[in-house]
Amino acid sequence: MARKSILHVCWVLATLAAIGAVTVWMTVGGDREVLLIGATTDAHHQFELACESCHTAAVFASRKAALKGLNKACRNCHEDDLKDAEDSHPRKKFRNPRMSVYWEPLDGRSCTTCHVEHRPEITRKGAVTVAMDFCEACHGEGDQDVRTDRPTHAGLTFDTCASSGCHNYHDNRALYADFLVKHADQPWLAAAPVHALAALHRSQKPLEETALGREDALAPAAALADETALDHWAGSGHAAAGVNCAGCHAPEVASGAPLAEIEAGWTDVAPLTACRDCHKQEAKTFALGRHGMRQHPEIARPRDASATVLDAVLPEGVTEWLSDAPYPVLMTVKEARIPMRADAAHESLDCGACHQPHAVDVEHAAVEACMSCHADPHTQAYVGSPHHELWQAELAGDAEPGSGVSCATCHMFKVERRGTIFTSHHQNDGLRPNEKMIRPVCLHCHGLGFAIDALADEDLAAGNFRGQPAVHVESIDWAVQHETSGVPNDER
Amino acid sequence: MLTFTEELVLLLNDEDGAPLPIRQDIVACALAGAVLMDLAFAYRIDTDLEALFVNDPTPTGKPTLDRILERIAARTEVCDAKMWIGTLSVEEAPSIHEQTLASLVESGILTVQESRLPWIRFRRYPSSDGKTAKELRQHVADVLTSDEIPDPRDVALISLLDACEILPDIFPRQEIEDFRPRIALLRKMDLIGREVAGAIAEIERSIIQAVRARAAQFKKLLLILSIAAGVAAFATLVAPRFPVADRFSALYFERLWFDGSWQLWSGFALLGLSGAGVLAVLLLKLRAIARLGGFNWWRLAHVGFGIACVLALFAHTGFRLGTSLNAALMGCFLAVLVLGGLAGVCTNAAGQLRKWGIKPKQRVIPIRVHIVALVPLPALLIIHIIAVYLY
Repeated sequence: MARKSILHVCWVLATLAAIGAVTVWMTVGGDREVLLIGATTDAHHQFELACESCHTAAVFASRKAALKGLNKACRNCHEDDLKDAEDSHPRKKFRNPRMSVYWEPLDGRSCTTCHVEHRPEITRKGAVTVAMDFCEACHGEGDQDVRTDRPTHAGLTFDTCASSGCHNYHDNRALYADFLVKHADQPWLAAAPVHALAALHRSQKPLEETALGREDALAPAAALADETALDHWAGSGHAAAGVNCAGCHAPEVASGAPLAEIEAGWTDVAPLTACRDCHKQEAKTFALGRHGMRQHPEIARPRDASATVLDAVLPEGVTEWLSDAPYPVLMTVKEARIPMRADAAHESLDCGACHQPHAVDVEHAAVEACMSCHADPHTQAYVGSPHHELWQAELAGDAEPGSGVSCATCHMFKVERRGTIFTSHHQNDGLRPNEKMIRPVCLHCHGLGFAIDALADEDLAAGNFRGQPAVHVESIDWAVQHETSGVPNDER
Repeated sequence: MLTFTEELVLLLNDEDGAPLPIRQDIVACALAGAVLMDLAFAYRIDTDLEALFVNDPTPTGKPTLDRILERIAARTEVCDAKMWIGTLSVEEAPSIHEQTLASLVESGILTVQESRLPWIRFRRYPSSDGKTAKELRQHVADVLTSDEIPDPRDVALISLLDACEILPDIFPRQEIEDFRPRIALLRKMDLIGREVAGAIAEIERSIIQAVRARAAQFKKLLLILSIAAGVAAFATLVAPRFPVADRFSALYFERLWFDGSWQLWSGFALLGLSGAGVLAVLLLKLRAIARLGGFNWWRLAHVGFGIACVLALFAHTGFRLGTSLNAALMGCFLAVLVLGGLAGVCTNAAGQLRKWGIKPKQRVIPIRVHIVALVPLPALLIIHIIAVYLY
């Protein structure tokens, strides 16, 4: 065969081999980082290699089916949030055929109309991938033109709808007109500024009859030799609540089992499941936030090639080699995309990262733990801020429970569900946009007008709210003006 | 005895009877020149300083020659050889070729074989006895390699082939380089009879001028387009991303680059244009379709597809180079396009480059690198498509 022909054959074979290898890589197993077509948005980057979390459609599905799968994946994780937010633009509103006129300019039936992944260049605030004056698509003309019956809105441009602090596309719980009017006259600070749920939560004490002391600790001798750990545990909430060493270090062993059984089931590093078994709500919300997102149940598991037909045709061991390596379960500080402390880069975010393993000091977890990792201006400005002073006063017993404002007060606020108050570990629940924080946090102590202004003042927020806002959002003024004009507020 | 035209037509086919990959306009000039030479050797036409004129309008007995002779005789205006080469090559070359092939088939030298593809009809003219064409080629080679004094007709035929620059298409290029001194010597030798020498020399000069003029015309066009393709591809590499509109009402371009359905169409357009560009080269290489429009047109089409690829690439990416595998694909694609432009410059500005001291071996480097850069492209392209459909 001529040299040229041999080269041609080699070229064709190499091309086919490369295509085959990458196709197996894409469909069966292997690190797919090189296949990413662009950086994923913040938060999603934590599981960007678990592609099947979002790309749920079958191989070579139609574009329509692929988009349907993507949107379903969005809802799998975010639908509850949107329900809680009383979504102003729910999907069901746009599925009504009468709304079909709006499908062309901005199809509100699909999340992917405004939120497309792997497009860092067009990803704006809030992971929005269309121009921020997108409200114009539906509210720029016709019946929905907001400028026709609202003199206050005449001359406004659509890029100011969301950026001014007046509106959000999804969550307007604290921003809709009736609510603004109702809270129009509130003073900037309440007469008794206390976060009611936090106060209630802190007032809950464990039953004294179940409390354990240092002498009650039941663990292998080697573990008991760690005096510091023992002291910490004895002073912790766990001991106060009657949780002995085996509760975490031998979670599979039945409560009250003899030492021999405990020793048999003992593990030096307590598994995360031990925390989850008791702190169900905290664990559930932890997986919703950025700290624990990698444990979210909707995130795809690593692909197992041995579970495919390849296992029958390939030599033994090959499918194991082809399978995905286990995805990391814990987020690490160094992977964060916001400013973090360099000395904390090695930290990974399990329960013990914030809650010291034995001391279980929630006060430490509420402030010091945050500050040990986060290095953004807002965090760095906390110490010495009015909120910090209130927190210190509460810790010192000089102020009533719930009056102090720690990092957790705002970012892991207390939630009441079915009569139980717990700390939501969904630290992003009140952020992006930060107006989401107004009702569950700010309004416990501050007036609505002040809260809206303060959150809209980026410099004030960066400085951890030292002083009064320099920004004034006119939404309350306009809502009141509109109300007094006799036209009902039906904005929501 | 075969006429010049018949010998030329035999030499223009390969051993299987398929046309050699010679530019169609050159073939046309050669056929026009061969007919005029036949008429000159038959003492039917002659030339002077101003005109080509008919000496003797008596038919030669060869229908092709007689038709042309009649046409020349019928012309009342004064026309020189250059003008007749131009006229005949444009208006008569296809019919001269067809008639001569038919005549060779009729005389039993060639046979006709037809093969059909869905849209294209191929016709080959293999030698019926397997000898005549082969012997003719061997005879020309013998004249070029021996030191003997050749027949004037052989000298005229070789001069015709050389004037049309088609000797390298008939014989291996290296051999032609070896023949060069002999060809130069033959052309200097005063072997053709005085009666027709002036006419033959004039016809040769006219052919050379016509061939060079046409080649120069195409070369200039190809050079400009190659530069345009190369510069456009290079600009894609270095130009900043086309900015994204920050107004919802001005999302046209943004949709082009970020809306999946738009990208799908521009992607397939790009794939189609790339495939067409490669196909144009393959058609250039395939002798069977050498007659589909001529080689210059296929070269022009190849460069045109290159430019269209750059435009489609802009529509697909907006000067965005992508990341990971997409970046590899984009890099490979742009390398092929930039090197293609450079190869076009090296091919079509060979004369100028020679003046600048750039040797032929150096001039082929961009062409070879252009081809090498193409090697990973199909794999990257198919992987890109699979990835798009999978995710």
